[in-house]
Amino acid sequence: MSARLKWTSLATIALVFAALYLRALEAPPPARFVAPRAAAPASARPLYQPQLLPNGSTQSVHSATAAELKDGKLRAFWYGGTREGAADVAIYTSVYSPKEARWSPERAVMTRELAQRSLQRHVRKLGNPVAGRDRGGRLCLFFVSVSVGGWAGSAINLMVSEDEGETWGPPRRLVASPFFNISTLVKGVPLLLSDGTLALPAYHEFLGKFGELLRVDGEGRVVGKTRLSWGKSSLQPVVVPRSETEALALMRYAGDPPARILMIRTRDAGAHWSEPVKTALPNPNAAVAGVLLAGGPLVLAFNNAEENREGLSLALSSDFGETFRVARNLEGEALLPRAPVPEYSYPWIMQDRAGDVHVLYTWGRSRIKHVVFNRAWLEGGGR
Amino acid sequence: MTNLVGLLGCGLLCLALAASVLRLQAFPAQARYVVELAVALAVFVPIGDLSIAGTVRGATGDLSAPTLALAASALFSRLTGRTLFERREVDALLGLVAGAALFLYPFALGWTAFDPYALGYGSMAFVTALLLATLLAWWAGLKLVVFVVLAGALAWLGGVYESRNLWDTLIDPLAAGYALAVLLMKGGKKLISQRRERAAVV
Repeated sequence: MSARLKWTSLATIALVFAALYLRALEAPPPARFVAPRAAAPASARPLYQPQLLPNGSTQSVHSATAAELKDGKLRAFWYGGTREGAADVAIYTSVYSPKEARWSPERAVMTRELAQRSLQRHVRKLGNPVAGRDRGGRLCLFFVSVSVGGWAGSAINLMVSEDEGETWGPPRRLVASPFFNISTLVKGVPLLLSDGTLALPAYHEFLGKFGELLRVDGEGRVVGKTRLSWGKSSLQPVVVPRSETEALALMRYAGDPPARILMIRTRDAGAHWSEPVKTALPNPNAAVAGVLLAGGPLVLAFNNAEENREGLSLALSSDFGETFRVARNLEGEALLPRAPVPEYSYPWIMQDRAGDVHVLYTWGRSRIKHVVFNRAWLEGGGR
Repeated sequence: MTNLVGLLGCGLLCLALAASVLRLQAFPAQARYVVELAVALAVFVPIGDLSIAGTVRGATGDLSAPTLALAASALFSRLTGRTLFERREVDALLGLVAGAALFLYPFALGWTAFDPYALGYGSMAFVTALLLATLLAWWAGLKLVVFVVLAGALAWLGGVYESRNLWDTLIDPLAAGYALAVLLMKGGKKLISQRRERAAVV
């Protein structure tokens, strides 16, 4: 190397690394959770309304998610096709009007072909969608796509709507793993952080099974991540904040018996998480959902068995996860009608601004079921 | 922009692989360029919705600076019959990539609670470690290592990758797998020759 080239290259190293240090200084500092909102006025009359969504155009459906719209309606998403993992699987949507207690006809918002064209890469199948809102109030839809292999080959994509889900911008691929960016999936609700970034619960299924919290900026790029667990037995985290700094996360368990829902906690806004502990609630290696009701208890929707998904229950915790009691059964042997295939799974739970609680779940693998209820029903009134 | 860079990178890899598989160096000089031009058309022109480069990108994601440098080097050699980088420089790069791979992948795939991949979002410690490695390479006259690190860093700063993680511009599983395979083969050969020498002495 000539002396001139040598010193020129050293000067280039100095310049480039100065820029790297400046960029590292700009990395987003730790942010806090946005504290849950104040309590909504409670209705004394028990409310309980179950109904199946009008999703008859596909034989197989799964993994429902939803977000409340600005006009108080609810927009749900799920994936459907001839079977899970088929090339014709698309992401569908429908809107629920609380006044009419009715869902609109379904329509597809993302197909495999459209994803392939927009992402400029081969896409073999689509999977779990997850809805949320960014700091600008725009509706966000994260969804899983696979280019090679099974679900362990998944990557997460994000698309954003400026008009409450009527139309969508092109999807963007999130990069969250150094290994071909495979094996990152979503199931839990994204949370808005105090600095406007989103905390997206994600999980990995390739070699290990563990959860992470991805930090996604306003342009839909992963700008940080925190590990929630590690190893081979925990997945599908659902994070429930109680204050700006305190939260718990519930996880599906895929390890040795006894099969229980896993729980972890943070007291420093997600910078550090405790080791997973088994709760008293069973878990047949199935997704769970949880929400902290405004001014009230923590509610979980879960399969109340260790071996099957033939029943779906609601559990309440008034001490933020220290103890639980099963409050209601949404599905089970004694409850009619039963699905042709008695599997009730992948619950999604949320509370709307009026205080009503919505649960969406896969009903017999062929339909999405919606149940809306209030605290009066949950805590003992009515059916 | 990220789509364009990603597709060009995967296309370059396809061109280098095609040049190796077709044994391009056996062709007359001018024919090599004609063949590679034809391969480039096949790789980049979409068939239906997607080009071959797009199909490869679906499986590999965006390729890191070492993979692109090695692919460019292989393509250059097959086209011109000359080498772009000295063997010593390539070996140093492969050694660095293999070491980084052994540090990164087992932990990033959930082996323990420690996740080195998270350092790639702007950790001062990571940037400092990279600076030290780059200065060592500069001091040892390893131009290729210095070039690859600077190219990866500039790509990260310029935001031309889908990923905002510095690791993704510096390493990918293709470069890691190639580096580990080459080093294992070299180690194996060395071991065998040492045993033969000992046997001859006995």
